[in-house]
Amino acid sequence: MAALTPYTYIQCPCSDLSTLGRTSDPKSPRADEADDDDDDRTFDPRAPRSNYSLYPLEYLLYCEDCHQIRCPRCVSDEIVTYYCPNCLFEVPSSNLKSEGNRCTRSCFQCPICIGPLAVTSVETKPDPSLLAAPDNTAAPHSGPYALTCSYCSWTSTEAGIKFDKPNGIHAQLAKLRNGGLTRLTAKERKERRKDPSHRFAPAAERDHERSALDDKLNLETQFANLKSFYQSQLADPNASDSGLAALSDLGFSSPTSLSRIMSIYTGGSLHDKKAKLRVGAMREALDTDEGLQLADLDESAAIAQLQCEGYDGTASTSQLSDQPPNLGEAHLHGRGRFISDLRPIPYLLRTKRSKRCPVCRHIISKPEAKVQTTRFRIRLVAGSYIPSMAIRPLSLSGGSSGTSASGSAGIPGALLDPLRPAHYLLTFTNPIFESIKVTLGAPAKTPGRFASKVTVLCPEFDIDANTDVWDEALKDPGGGGGGGGELRDRERERERERRRRKGEEGRNMSSNNNQLEVGKIWERGRNWVSIVVEVVPASLRLDHGAGEQPLREDDDVLEIPMFVRIEWEAEAGGDEVGAVIGRDREARERRELAYWCVLGLGRIRV
Amino acid sequence: MSSKRHSILPPVSSSGPKPPVHFSSSITIADSAILTGTHPIAIHGESVVHPRAKLDSLAGRITVGRRCVVHERSTLGAVFGASGRITEAAVTLGDYVTVEVGAAIEAGETVVGEGTVVGVGARVGAGAVVGKYCTLTPHSEIAAGEVIPDFTVVYSNGMRRPDKRGVAELRNKGMARQIDVLRRMIPSNPTKFA
Amino acid sequence: MSSRRPPRGEYIETDTGNKVARKATLVGTQNIMLGGKTVIQPEVMIRGDLVRTIQASSQSGATPNSTAVAIGRYCFLSRGCCLRPPGRLYKGAFTYMPLRMGDHVFVGPASVVQAASIGSHVHIGAKVAIGEFAIIKDYVRILDGTVVPPNTVIPSFSIVAGQPARLIGEVPEGGHEAFELRDLYKTVGNNPQPAPS
Repeated sequence: MAALTPYTYIQCPCSDLSTLGRTSDPKSPRADEADDDDDDRTFDPRAPRSNYSLYPLEYLLYCEDCHQIRCPRCVSDEIVTYYCPNCLFEVPSSNLKSEGNRCTRSCFQCPICIGPLAVTSVETKPDPSLLAAPDNTAAPHSGPYALTCSYCSWTSTEAGIKFDKPNGIHAQLAKLRNGGLTRLTAKERKERRKDPSHRFAPAAERDHERSALDDKLNLETQFANLKSFYQSQLADPNASDSGLAALSDLGFSSPTSLSRIMSIYTGGSLHDKKAKLRVGAMREALDTDEGLQLADLDESAAIAQLQCEGYDGTASTSQLSDQPPNLGEAHLHGRGRFISDLRPIPYLLRTKRSKRCPVCRHIISKPEAKVQTTRFRIRLVAGSYIPSMAIRPLSLSGGSSGTSASGSAGIPGALLDPLRPAHYLLTFTNPIFESIKVTLGAPAKTPGRFASKVTVLCPEFDIDANTDVWDEALKDPGGGGGGGGELRDRERERERERRRRKGEEGRNMSSNNNQLEVGKIWERGRNWVSIVVEVVPASLRLDHGAGEQPLREDDDVLEIPMFVRIEWEAEAGGDEVGAVIGRDREARERRELAYWCVLGLGRIRV
Repeated sequence: MSSKRHSILPPVSSSGPKPPVHFSSSITIADSAILTGTHPIAIHGESVVHPRAKLDSLAGRITVGRRCVVHERSTLGAVFGASGRITEAAVTLGDYVTVEVGAAIEAGETVVGEGTVVGVGARVGAGAVVGKYCTLTPHSEIAAGEVIPDFTVVYSNGMRRPDKRGVAELRNKGMARQIDVLRRMIPSNPTKFA
Repeated sequence: MSSRRPPRGEYIETDTGNKVARKATLVGTQNIMLGGKTVIQPEVMIRGDLVRTIQASSQSGATPNSTAVAIGRYCFLSRGCCLRPPGRLYKGAFTYMPLRMGDHVFVGPASVVQAASIGSHVHIGAKVAIGEFAIIKDYVRILDGTVVPPNTVIPSFSIVAGQPARLIGEVPEGGHEAFELRDLYKTVGNNPQPAPS
């Protein structure tokens, strides 16, 4: 039973319709009916869907135009920059289309442990420059190079790959197959095909054919050959006709070839019918030059290798899935079986993304385009607009909260005793420059299998604005100077007196009386207020026999759904530039924001 | 940082008996290394012991080979767990062994082979026999009594794989150079322990 | 809390605001640069003596600009951690390179840091082993027990964990303030302020 530190998760309104305790209701509900008093619509944190809509405050963003919070699920991302996470070089998006989404600059990951690979030279003679990093160009011996993992000591020589130069590894790797054989790039393949000396006559003798078959086990070559063969098949019968010869070059999806294909069907003359018939008469590939490869069902080599290396010599599924696709090695669709088939993995590029509000399409988060800077041009986070909540257990017997552990939940992370009331201190910190009024609503019993009783002692309170610390210091008696300080001094005293008389503070500072009074806050500060929440955890005892299921995982976590409504006054017409002076300057708009949140307090002792 | 003090070294609590030591003449042992115990401690060759390394021979003799480097805060001859009193609890390090920061090698006929690198925070259990030129990556654990074959890399939560780099010679040369430099950097004080 | 007289200050507070514990082990302090308002807890070990030896200079001793470890402002080195400059064979000789840390770096207890450079606003968990010549950029969170292999680069805004270190998440935009260590600095020292609730 792991100890639980208290947490608060906030539900984003984008998932409002689906997590209001309703089962899959086909009728679309009214959008903003999140009534906190109505039990039927209480947010259930244990509903399977609510897991996907709850986020801690750090993950939420805020759209200033919609005045709503946005979560990572509802914002739309746009990519600002692509960069390699190893060399931190920016990759222009044009390169991305041509070379794929991996780094092409000698950044590789070990296929065994995905640690970073470093270029080292393979020397038979001992040489002190072996342990030099790749940026040390003063290596006098330029023997063949290999990639070595700094963590698990894998080297590319285990796959039979060695390089001649320490730079431009990606390009060199593209030309190498495992075992040191060369691999043909697309260009070379085209040239080979065009070169007549490589062509074997289709009706060759058996020996010739067999040797040709043996030599083309390469998946990429086979694919390229097949593709060109089929293209030629489509082109060939219609070579005499006008337009279809162009198909082989452009492929099938280009608009010109599509229009030409359509012209076959809309032709209507005898000439075209013949063309249509001829398209059907295609043949299959007959030899390796055209792309045929007989399946090699003899796996004795693989079995021998397996017996020799054992289980440890085989690659795991995660290692195989990390390999970049289409390597053209074994005939298992490019995937090897053994560790010796694994090749170094180029790093996947990482992105810097800017986020947009889905409703009003304004940008709410935009980082700088440069990879080295960590600044943001726009960064509207929810933490600057909605109050943050902190939960701490409160022990009432003797001393201030948090120090003595005599209460049942005095130590954070301790287990809660069932059926014994425990108290928690909930602190709300106001980040905006206006004072806000907070209204809380929590159901009397937590939803779910084991209903614990919850009482929020003070569901409505005000929090002061987040004024500057300097303003506060000037108001402080004894700090700051001059007559102005004195004036404010008296004001502040009056304010405190007023509050005390109103009886708002349930905890009288002078008498240090730790009594809990309903309707009163616990403590107040410059821009924060803390209140007490009392919970009576439910008993987790199961009545065996009534067909009850055993305790599921996390059934013992005490979570309270709470509805928070925040009201504040802001200046009206903030969006317009050059508002009308006079009356509008005085007008203050009341704004409100409401959301559900979940307070996770702790685990109940079984 | 003020230049008044050259180092802030809180006094080493010299609890425990002073062991009989047998040092080679060319070793470098820092002033604040901790050598305690009753059994003899032998350090051969040009080995280096960094400050605050602890060699505890309470349970058995400790032998450190030639050209070894024992980094700070490591413990040779530690006793962890309720293994009880072991009488013959020697710790033997081969030549060219590196014991990194915070590593712990338990006493109990433990043998660490030549050229092995024991990573940061690694723990070698009692009676384990680690082969030659192995690499124990940081925070790896070798259970008591385990035998690790030569040229093995222990990584990632107990995975093992053979090391096929063939860098044994190079490692030794690298160690020799490192020791050259360390010897000049660390003020040695073997007479303190004699 | 003890009811006796408080012991002679556990920390030495310098005029730049650094709070260095008396029981911390700092070797070679003339090569250690502290930025200011840095907290060094007891049992921390910083190896300032492993400094780069430049062969060009013929004189021995403290040459100017021989920094072994440079630490920024508001850093927090927890109990038992160890900072060591990384070393490697360079041009035939074994040399140590300086370890540079940015501001607001939290190093967890019992961690060993041998990186080449650490950016600002980095949170390193407990029992972390950072290999030699690793480069950690800004706003990175390294969880407890991670092993960062040598020569790894961890880009900004990453959350890494595991052995070897893998990227498991990204720091959200709202999480930048969590890396600030100003409040933590105030809770330590000879006159600790209470932690803000």
